Amino acid sequence: MTDSSPILQVCNVTKDFGGVRAVDRCTLDVMPGTITGLIGPNGAGKTTLFNLAAGDLSPTSGQILFDGMVISGLQPHQTFSRGLMRTFQIPRELRRMTVLENLMLVPARQSGERLWSTWLTPWKVARQERQIQARALDVLELVNLSHLANELAGNLSGGQKKLLELARTLMAKPKMVLLDEPGAGINRTLLRDLSANIVRASVERNVTFLIIEHDMRFVMTMCDPVIVMANGSVISEGTPSAIQRDPQVLEAYLGGRISGPA
Amino acid sequence: MDISGVIDYLIGFTIMAIIYAIFALGLNVHWGFTGLFNIGIAGFFALGAYTAALLTSPPPDPDQFEDFIFGGDLANQGLLDLGVDAWFFLGLAAAAVVCGLVALIVGTITLRLNDDYLSIATLGIAESVRFFFLNEKWAANGSKGLYRIPKFLGDVVAPENYDYLYVVVALVILLILFAAVQRAVRSPWGRVLRAIREDEVATAASGKNVFHFKLQSFVFGAMIMGIGGALFAHHVRFLSPLTFDPLLATFVIWAMLMVGGSGNNLGAVLGAFVVWGVWAGTQFLPGVFSDPSFRLLMIGVLIVAIMLLRPGGLLGEWRRIVASRPASAAARDSTDPG
Repeated sequence: MTDSSPILQVCNVTKDFGGVRAVDRCTLDVMPGTITGLIGPNGAGKTTLFNLAAGDLSPTSGQILFDGMVISGLQPHQTFSRGLMRTFQIPRELRRMTVLENLMLVPARQSGERLWSTWLTPWKVARQERQIQARALDVLELVNLSHLANELAGNLSGGQKKLLELARTLMAKPKMVLLDEPGAGINRTLLRDLSANIVRASVERNVTFLIIEHDMRFVMTMCDPVIVMANGSVISEGTPSAIQRDPQVLEAYLGGRISGPA
Repeated sequence: MDISGVIDYLIGFTIMAIIYAIFALGLNVHWGFTGLFNIGIAGFFALGAYTAALLTSPPPDPDQFEDFIFGGDLANQGLLDLGVDAWFFLGLAAAAVVCGLVALIVGTITLRLNDDYLSIATLGIAESVRFFFLNEKWAANGSKGLYRIPKFLGDVVAPENYDYLYVVVALVILLILFAAVQRAVRSPWGRVLRAIREDEVATAASGKNVFHFKLQSFVFGAMIMGIGGALFAHHVRFLSPLTFDPLLATFVIWAMLMVGGSGNNLGAVLGAFVVWGVWAGTQFLPGVFSDPSFRLLMIGVLIVAIMLLRPGGLLGEWRRIVASRPASAAARDSTDPG
């Protein structure tokens, strides 16, 4: 862990849905450059926390800071432009668009996104499109989906959709990525590719990762530190081995010992 | 009917089909590419038509008991005495601007909300526009309507041959709009619209300001519809509020887009010709079959048949195919399909 200030700070955040308190005075820090794991039993509030950080929801109370700036209450496209990207637990692929188009959508500030530019400076738009397409094809190769470039995203398998979600984050240049169960439904071979891609992005491009995952083998090998949530707040935080010995964590998981695939 | 009568009829048919094709293009921007459920096309149709008509018609004639205040006739006013033919184009532009402004206001209010609110609002606007022109006689002569709308290039050809000229005018405008829409939807701009149609949350997570793009799409589509309305006004040269009932000014256009292929501009144009062909053609059926309600039923049957046999419409959505790289062939062989 570095000794610089946290890139993501969740400060005493609460989120109520009617009478249900999904996140309860939750406080946690994520240090830049880390691959931090976020685990906890179902209903612990992990995905809600992602929704709050990414701007899909606003907290009932409390603040979330990213890079020292308050981001709670911003819209998703605004958190994106500050360098915070997220993926979805249930993949939200653009079904009737090709895999390549799903990726080419992502880069920010495309000149062809301005209606008049498409008419007045089509050559500029076309040149930028070629660059974006080349980058998208590179990313597809990275996640081994090149052969599906022209396939409609809705036709992909569950695991391939998960890879497409990850590929989306590789198309932009985020400072931090929130991955919501990237490994769910992915076979062992693809999971190894996925881990390799995360590590590569972390090392080569200094991207910070916060990963929700139920596959304990994945969490224990990939993530350090690991944060444990239960009933809407953080109950433990530390290295993977320390977490595995924490009695509070064991209790949260119904007294079970943390081992192997969940 | 002799052969020249048949040709005259076909020319008139083609003009109307072209005008409807323009509406179908506008609806395609809204629904086919962005997923905006506009069920008040008639509102923009009417606004476009009345705008162009009011700007170019002669002033009200007291002998005919006309007392609407804005006689327009800008074509012959001192300040902008450009003649009717130049004002035809200014009327087209004004129709687009008026529809665009109304769409901007309605869209700003409703597009942040759930999709349902836009449909309710568009439906409300369409009916409000119709009843406004029906009840507010001072605005456009109420139910008696406007009936001295000038022709574009009316001095150039003999009246009996005028449709031959106007079909070319309409076709040129359709081609320009078609090219503009096609360029727009196949660009990154159109890619964002289609992404919004598929999943707004995912599009926002990819950094796009969903509201802004929806608003742009809504305004752009409405402007196209306004131009369609203006062309219609100069073609039939008689407007009354009854022209813009939801059946022939909204429902039929939806039928055209569904039949032709939502999300495909060529499909929108094809659908306009097919559905208008069914609507116009069935009037020649014998007896009760030429009854308007039966003819409308035929359009319903056509929609059901298309939905069952070709759910994507006659022409499905266009998909961009990119040549794969030679290098990726190796990756393909080694990849374990998930």
